[in-house]
Amino acid sequence: MTDKPAFSIDVGDLKRRDKADTPATVERLDRAADTLGFVERSPRKRRGRPPSPRTGQVHAKVLPPVARQISAEAKRRGVQQGVLIEEAWALYCAANGIDPEA
Amino acid sequence: MPVIVIASPKGGAGKSTTAVLLGTELAHAGAEVTFLDCDPNGSLSLWATRADLPPRITVLGDVDESGIIRSIRSHDRDGSVVIVDLEGVASRLVSRAISQADLVITPMRATTLDATIGVRALTLIAEEEEQLDRAIPHAVVFTMTRAIRSKQHTGIEASLAGQGVDIIEPALMERAAFSALFEFGGDLRSIPRQGNMEGAQENAGAFARAVYQRLGARKQAA
Repeated sequence: MTDKPAFSIDVGDLKRRDKADTPATVERLDRAADTLGFVERSPRKRRGRPPSPRTGQVHAKVLPPVARQISAEAKRRGVQQGVLIEEAWALYCAANGIDPEA
Repeated sequence: MPVIVIASPKGGAGKSTTAVLLGTELAHAGAEVTFLDCDPNGSLSLWATRADLPPRITVLGDVDESGIIRSIRSHDRDGSVVIVDLEGVASRLVSRAISQADLVITPMRATTLDATIGVRALTLIAEEEEQLDRAIPHAVVFTMTRAIRSKQHTGIEASLAGQGVDIIEPALMERAAFSALFEFGGDLRSIPRQGNMEGAQENAGAFARAVYQRLGARKQAA
């Protein structure tokens, strides 16, 4: 093997050349490419935060002071109220010997 | 400058291998080379993680459709070469990259399927030349060729040449050393010996020199 390059480059030969890149030009190119099947393929990103997996409803009716306390605690922790109910259910299951996975 | 775009809507044509061979040989010959990896498969980025990059080489990944023109322009400067490696699909990203090219290279295996799909890149270039009102130099390089040329290869080459398509000589042969670049990283001088390394270096060097000549180089030294 040899370390000698097959040729050498004169970097002075490598000059930058201006090319069209105005929005109007790019739009024209995109339209032309579309007609040849070179279409937009970049994955579309959804706006906003992803949907919560917490979609099950429990319709719990509680006394107003309890509702206020649950609401305040959830706000303090920065979680949904459902998280507190899930935690309460886990404690209930543990206390009563219920398998929450069953 | 110059910006070299490696484009073919056909997957498996040898785009990333062509890009790595070209970039590493140009860097070895003294050029500063920036690779833009626009392929979601990240072949170039993978190559870059396998070993320390050879001197004068930079690799940038995750370049998408919205950022391709900006990325090319920010690295397109005197004394350096930008090589854009694209995914093997017909996409808007391909057309935008081609619009910024000083040379488009379409790697093509010498099969009818590769030629049929690869020609779509040439059609797109012709359309962009018309839209931009400037010539976009382009050439085809045959990849994964064998020492004994097939009739299919001869026929496809004659057909392309007959249509005025520039064909880069030498073709890039099927060599263990070329595919091993993605296993070991680095260049043909740094990887462990794979078959006929002298032949591989000579092939890659002659190919890079042929590309350099197409960039309008004024002189070269043996």
